Amino acid sequence: MDSFTPLTAALGGSLIGLATAVLWLGNGRIAGISGIFGQMLPPAQTVVWRLVFVIAMVSATFVAARLLPGIGMGGDVPAALVEAPAAWGIPTPVWLAIAGLLTGIGTKIGNGCTSGHGVCGLARLSRRSLVAVLVFFGVAMLTVAVTGIV
Amino acid sequence: MANLKLPYLATAALSGALFGAGLYVSQMVDARKVLRFLDVTAIPSGGWDPSLAFVIVPAIVIMFLAVQLSRQQQAPLFDVEFHEPEYAHIDRRLIGGAALFGIGWGMAGICPGPALSLIAFVPDGLWIFLVAMLIGSYAGSLIVPSGHAKRLADAR
Repeated sequence: MDSFTPLTAALGGSLIGLATAVLWLGNGRIAGISGIFGQMLPPAQTVVWRLVFVIAMVSATFVAARLLPGIGMGGDVPAALVEAPAAWGIPTPVWLAIAGLLTGIGTKIGNGCTSGHGVCGLARLSRRSLVAVLVFFGVAMLTVAVTGIV
Repeated sequence: MANLKLPYLATAALSGALFGAGLYVSQMVDARKVLRFLDVTAIPSGGWDPSLAFVIVPAIVIMFLAVQLSRQQQAPLFDVEFHEPEYAHIDRRLIGGAALFGIGWGMAGICPGPALSLIAFVPDGLWIFLVAMLIGSYAGSLIVPSGHAKRLADAR
């Protein structure tokens, strides 16, 4: 099918793996984005490197879209996040606010997201991360099935 | 402080740049593509998009090799120690947090990495999501005990 893109997925995934490897071997830090994001809030002693990381990440996403028009999204940039499923009768901004709140609170109390638990935690063979990954992938798949958002 | 020196910050910048490029090239910044992966109900009809499995597997393999390499080192290149997460216990907080995150991810199709990377394009609805994520993260920090030692004790 058209939307199956294993090559660019593996290329992008390799870049993400290199990113986590560089931060680990260079600075001994886990490249978990929810952690980096959450610790940019006060109280935080070491905000500077996290700010540098996020600025570089956003800039590279911007540049990649222009330099690599034939790869990934083909130079397209997403114009909007998802629409709330009509059947639920919830306005899209409210839907997105709920999703954002749950993502923020869940990754904070669960200590990680797709990068911290999914990539770094599994690579470290952490049992905690394996449990977290199984739970959030499972619940996300269930949520998609129940909401009918696709 | 080690973490304000140039090599340390340059490493953070290189890592962030690789991460951001990877999120674009892999199409993780496309919420609809992420949702088509999470939509396993489409498997019987052949409409499922398994691409994202091809993102996470090479990422894990590369990081696994880096972790193995680090086991033979005393310290990373630009800091005095590897900051290995110390929590070991699988508790209700871990499972509850992961479940809440799973609901949010399934509703919007973006996790924290893509959410931040999308600042590059500012799609409609992004600021609502990001501000809500920030508020949620702050609310979560009020639930978990403050202070490293207390959090560590709590997670044991």
